[in-house]
Amino acid sequence: MTSQGNGLKSKIAVVTGGGRGIGRAVVDRLLADGASVLTCGRGNRPADLAAEVFWVQADVGIAADARTIVASAREAFGEPTILVNNAGVQLTKTVVETTDTDWDLVVGTNCKGMFNMCREVLPFMTEHGGSIVNIGSISGNVSDPKMAIYNASKAFVHGLTRSVAIDHGPKVRCNAICPGWIMTEMAADGFDLARDPARARADAFARHPAGRLGAPDDIANAVAWLVSDQAAFANGQCFVIDGGLTAASPLQPELF
Amino acid sequence: MSGKLGGKVALVTGGRGGIGRAICERFIAEGATVFAADLSDTGSMGAASGAAAAFVQLDVTSEDQVKAAMGTVEAAAGKLDVLVNAAGIEIEKTIEHTTLEEWNRCFAVNVTGMFLTSKHALPLMRKAVSGGGTASIINFGSYDGFIADPGLAAYCASKGAVHALTRAMACDHGPEGIRVNAICPGYIDTPMLQCFFAGAGSGGGGRTIEALRDAVRNVHPIRNYGTPTDVANLVNWLASDEARYASGQLWVLDGGLSAQVQQMRL
Repeated sequence: MTSQGNGLKSKIAVVTGGGRGIGRAVVDRLLADGASVLTCGRGNRPADLAAEVFWVQADVGIAADARTIVASAREAFGEPTILVNNAGVQLTKTVVETTDTDWDLVVGTNCKGMFNMCREVLPFMTEHGGSIVNIGSISGNVSDPKMAIYNASKAFVHGLTRSVAIDHGPKVRCNAICPGWIMTEMAADGFDLARDPARARADAFARHPAGRLGAPDDIANAVAWLVSDQAAFANGQCFVIDGGLTAASPLQPELF
Repeated sequence: MSGKLGGKVALVTGGRGGIGRAICERFIAEGATVFAADLSDTGSMGAASGAAAAFVQLDVTSEDQVKAAMGTVEAAAGKLDVLVNAAGIEIEKTIEHTTLEEWNRCFAVNVTGMFLTSKHALPLMRKAVSGGGTASIINFGSYDGFIADPGLAAYCASKGAVHALTRAMACDHGPEGIRVNAICPGYIDTPMLQCFFAGAGSGGGGRTIEALRDAVRNVHPIRNYGTPTDVANLVNWLASDEARYASGQLWVLDGGLSAQVQQMRL
């Protein structure tokens, strides 16, 4: 992790789903850049979370919980002017396999959760300024197989990113980062379940012009730039960070 | 300034123009050794002020001059970490009014120039990545490469070509540690933009230049044009090691302009 110094000093940030993975890297980076950070998750506070980070046990998919998250930030630090909507769940199912409960979980967290959080912070940000970064996905631009509702939920994230940007300017900026394959616990588990884990890993790496999967810090670097004053003219965009994966055609015969 | 580019060597084409000059100044402030390549030492804006990058005479459409420019960089610095292809021209015409000569000139500067500088920069960039790490090529595309502005046909087409070339180079040279991205600016307040507003063939429609300027400004969700500094901020990030995983992408920087559907005047 590289810090930009205290570029976010005296800023107040809410990062959803900061318990682990990409969200945790974002929390640590914003903290290192000088921001006061609150994060949340459905479980208990992780033991290794930095002491100065405020933790709220909450489900962003529930409107009352979103209200509690923002109210907690207000009480602990003041009104947040940075919101990173990172909380999300993945589901490996086709449309036919998806149950009503699955739908409620994925759409509830990834779509309604983002909506709930934006609705809570926007009245203040519209008046006083703020920057929202949503974690979308390359899966919202091009589909991953057997991840139907997840793919669609990320396209929703990209669409709402643009809407917030054009409805709540000029003081609010809203952008999305669309990560590709990031080596989190979730991705590692996926490889371990493959028929030939070593071959699955080698194949995945070979599909990336960068020759590797992303790290959570790669995404945190981009989020830190987007919420900083350096990105004052960046608005309404969905920026892909995927090591070149989606710049290449998915048809690479030498890999078959 | 934090010195994000300490130890890096950069070449910026169009380096004495509106955006190129801001990029050079930022790179110098971040600790890089910078070469500003342009047709003339003053470019489109008169004499440079403040800390100026070393000037390299370059017409990007001439392969001989490109080779000579890379030779200058090699002799002075021995490697190249960052290549910014910012040289570009606009032809403000529909295809009907564009002559073959103008069309060829637009592609020669905007596309062929990028091909030539990138091609001849590769050996120097390989030297930069030989100890690990990444080198970075940053091309200038445009939001006009996605959606068209009226009366800019050759320019729009050339920028679409830049976007495709960016992806192709990222795929081909990513494995050796060379990242390739394009920045796609919207309306940035430069001499080129002021020429566009003043141009009779640019769709001014008899309105005053001021009325046209205000109208275009107000179509932006952020209600303003960008500045060369805004562009330099993003170029600086893409050039730095912070962007080590960013490659093959088109980075639109337009104040939200292209996030919206065209605004109907009902």
